[in-house]
Amino acid sequence: MARRIAFNIFAWSIVLMVAFPLFWMVVTSVKPQPELFRRPPTFLPEVWTFEHYAKLLFDTKFMTYFRNSVILSVSTTAIVIVIATIGAYSLVRFKYRGRESLAFLVLFTYLLPSVVLILPLYLMIVQLGMSNTIFSLVIAYTTFALPYALWLLRSFMQGIPEDLESAALVDGASRMGAFRDIILPQLLPGIISTALFTFILSWNEYLYALVLVNSDNARPLTTGVMNMLISSFNIEWSLLMAASVMMSVPLIIAFAFLQSYLTRGFGAGGMKG
Amino acid sequence: MADVVLTNLNKQFDSFTAVEDMNLSIEQGEFVSLLGPSGCGKTTTLRMLAGLEFCTSGEIRIGERVVNDVAPGERDIAMVFQSYALYPHMSVENNIAYPLKKRGVPKSERGAMVAKTAEMLHLTELLNRKPRQLSGGQQQRVALGRALVRDPKVFLLDEPLSNLDAKLRGYMRAELVQLHNRLGRTMVYVTHDQLEAMTMSNRIAIMEGGRLQQFAPPQDVYREPANRFVASFIGTPGMNLIDGELRQQGGTWWFEAPELKIEARGLGPSAQAGKVCLGIRPESITLGTGPYSGAVQLVEQTGHENIVAVNIGGDIRLTGRAPATVIPRFGETIQFSIDPDASHFFAAGPAGIRLNVPRSAESADKWNPAEAAVNLQEAQL
Amino acid sequence: MSRPKQSVLERQYSILGIMLIAPTVIVFCAVIVYPLVSAIYLSLFEIFTPTLEGEWVGLENYRTLLSKGEFWVALRTNLIWTVGTLTLQILFGVGMALVLHQNIWFRSLARSLILFPYFVSTVVAVLVWKWLFNDLYGIVNHLLMTAGLIDFPIDYLGTMPNAMISVILVGAWKYFPFVVIAVLARLQTIPDHLYEAARIDGAGPISRFFDITLPQLREVLVVIIMLRAIWDFKEFDLIFLLTGGGPVTSTQTLPLLVYKEAFKLNQMGMASAYAVLMMLIMLVFMLLYIRKTRSEEN
Repeated sequence: MARRIAFNIFAWSIVLMVAFPLFWMVVTSVKPQPELFRRPPTFLPEVWTFEHYAKLLFDTKFMTYFRNSVILSVSTTAIVIVIATIGAYSLVRFKYRGRESLAFLVLFTYLLPSVVLILPLYLMIVQLGMSNTIFSLVIAYTTFALPYALWLLRSFMQGIPEDLESAALVDGASRMGAFRDIILPQLLPGIISTALFTFILSWNEYLYALVLVNSDNARPLTTGVMNMLISSFNIEWSLLMAASVMMSVPLIIAFAFLQSYLTRGFGAGGMKG
Repeated sequence: MADVVLTNLNKQFDSFTAVEDMNLSIEQGEFVSLLGPSGCGKTTTLRMLAGLEFCTSGEIRIGERVVNDVAPGERDIAMVFQSYALYPHMSVENNIAYPLKKRGVPKSERGAMVAKTAEMLHLTELLNRKPRQLSGGQQQRVALGRALVRDPKVFLLDEPLSNLDAKLRGYMRAELVQLHNRLGRTMVYVTHDQLEAMTMSNRIAIMEGGRLQQFAPPQDVYREPANRFVASFIGTPGMNLIDGELRQQGGTWWFEAPELKIEARGLGPSAQAGKVCLGIRPESITLGTGPYSGAVQLVEQTGHENIVAVNIGGDIRLTGRAPATVIPRFGETIQFSIDPDASHFFAAGPAGIRLNVPRSAESADKWNPAEAAVNLQEAQL
Repeated sequence: MSRPKQSVLERQYSILGIMLIAPTVIVFCAVIVYPLVSAIYLSLFEIFTPTLEGEWVGLENYRTLLSKGEFWVALRTNLIWTVGTLTLQILFGVGMALVLHQNIWFRSLARSLILFPYFVSTVVAVLVWKWLFNDLYGIVNHLLMTAGLIDFPIDYLGTMPNAMISVILVGAWKYFPFVVIAVLARLQTIPDHLYEAARIDGAGPISRFFDITLPQLREVLVVIIMLRAIWDFKEFDLIFLLTGGGPVTSTQTLPLLVYKEAFKLNQMGMASAYAVLMMLIMLVFMLLYIRKTRSEEN
């Protein structure tokens, strides 16, 4: 019995150690600026303040960046999910020449360094006159999000018994009819998992945003925050932490709602490429 | 006119031939079982019939139409899957209504048709439940209901009872037979359980290795199996098979094996000396008295009778039936006799074509004596 | 043997299948295949990034970069980073998975908390750790000094070998949850009766781990190690944001080198050459990984 308690304490100490940086992030964001430079540092804030959040929201371009990130991530997710869902259906339930090679290709692109793709992509976007637009980012993000989404959805699709579709065909449905009536409802948890995963990938992307967008109008949060705050002479850590917390808010919300979906989705397709 | 005709049907998967040269002609209203061990090609054949698999070559005809290029939903068939394949996100009612919906039956009529089918299968109280809330037996009835509601020309059933427990299986077997009698529709039933096939079918199509072995009514398949495989597959406990030789002594033919010598009857004028295989069903062996003897190896008491395995020499065991009151002891020497009129003879070798003369004129045209003689010769080469 | 004639229906299905995968293929060709091929093409030019004007130089770029030390240094740095962070990710990942597999208090909460580093943006992770590592006000230095482990604050990101160690540690913290999830998923499929039988045979926890758990994990671990090795090798965001490749170039890995060449030194052509070489190096592992996953599927 004592062993069990000791083990529990041990386990939770590690969990708390891993989670500590994030806890510290939240704590720092609600401390007033002077308290930050207290030596020794205080663990919990003596004074709680939301002034940094206010400053972030009203005095900086943060909300612009936030808006851009939302548009960007939602658009990318929508496009990727549609393409990947029908693609996964095709890869799993249809037979045609080259199908296996395509699956192989998907696997391959999953592993490509974005730093390699970015160079010609940059050229292409500039030559098309699309640089500095959210649209260019959507295109770029689709690049790396699609293989992940496709692989995850393929995994989910393989988990749906083939008999269901067969029964629907015998019952008189066309293939797309069976897809709509039978497969999609079954695939819904998988689609939600994949959509969340894709959203998070897009929300967190940095390099493409760095290279392809220079103006604040189109900047998403990742480059926006780095740009806005590090460029000032005095690094305002409290503001940075507040920005970090706000950037992580959509993730936490998504997480809280659909925690089981995420781990399930990850387990199904995440590690097997 | 035949309702379902398979002509020269072949199915090839890459390097593996699942169905080879299948020819089958099913009469209207017939209950036909596709019977065989796993991997024999019976499910593949059924799926080709349904349109869920494409034929490598050959023709499938349903009614008057050649349906090779017709989508499954348009072949006027219904199918019950081994896994039931109920749509998990739909209620029982919507599951049963789905085929009607796909055919454009208006909502008002759908309700009535579904209700009628549900009543016939005792599903009326379950209409609003989801499949996962039902027991195995109930799910199976819903799958049946979904098939019945459309009143198709042909019913296809893929081992629908194999997921049920033994008692429920027996009950559902009877239900299906009654259903067939009432509806009078053609049914094609896939199973690996020979008891199911024997008790339910008008005719049984036995398959092995992708090929059709025999297509005949249950009694014919039991009493005159076309080859060694059919003989050993049908009947529980299985037929005893012993390899030996045919020899003529005086005017009679004898079967001789190191362990056993018995008069060989029923071979007809084309009998030839050489290697053969003898087949005796356990019920043709009478334990207790007789010219033969052996050591008791195994006694299985089933309650209403005892299955006794007797070692007659070497590794050869004969299985016979004894009344429940006769319980031999292990190792005990027991006498037994064999009914010579009930012996089957098969050509030596794995093909093992039946050599006996057919018992009735009807079965004569399903059995070719000349072919049997040729096979016997080939087997001896 | 010639292909047997397909029925009309079969062909219709095939066409539908092709149509459904077409959008994916188009996207792939446009934004993956084309850039890949272009990268090789671009590497044969000398291109000035801001204006995108260039001239043909053939293999000159490659000759230059292979003879310059910077490429090899970056490769070595990359390997150190990859091996370092991968080892930690695997060790912590497996360890944590084993812990989380047990029935501890509020297990699902613990699992969610462990996942956070992976799903948080790299930007956020970097900002937080920079704050933690701050020499004057960072909590890490404070804790270490209070514990008496160090006398003076440490500069975590500005000197070597600290910078590399810090980067490796942050990388491990960020990515080990991936290993945890993958291993945990596999652990949950190991049947309990294997352990019960071992316990009856008298095996203690350590030998149970080595004799039962580890062999069962072997397959998944190989795949995870390969995947994470590939992903760690090509990591850009984390290192770039944490140290920028510094101090000087001591944490400059190949991806950072490519970026620097293209956008700081404005040599797009040379950068492409670096990128192509990097790809070639990775190609071996990528093919190994693909072969392994495909054989497992079949």
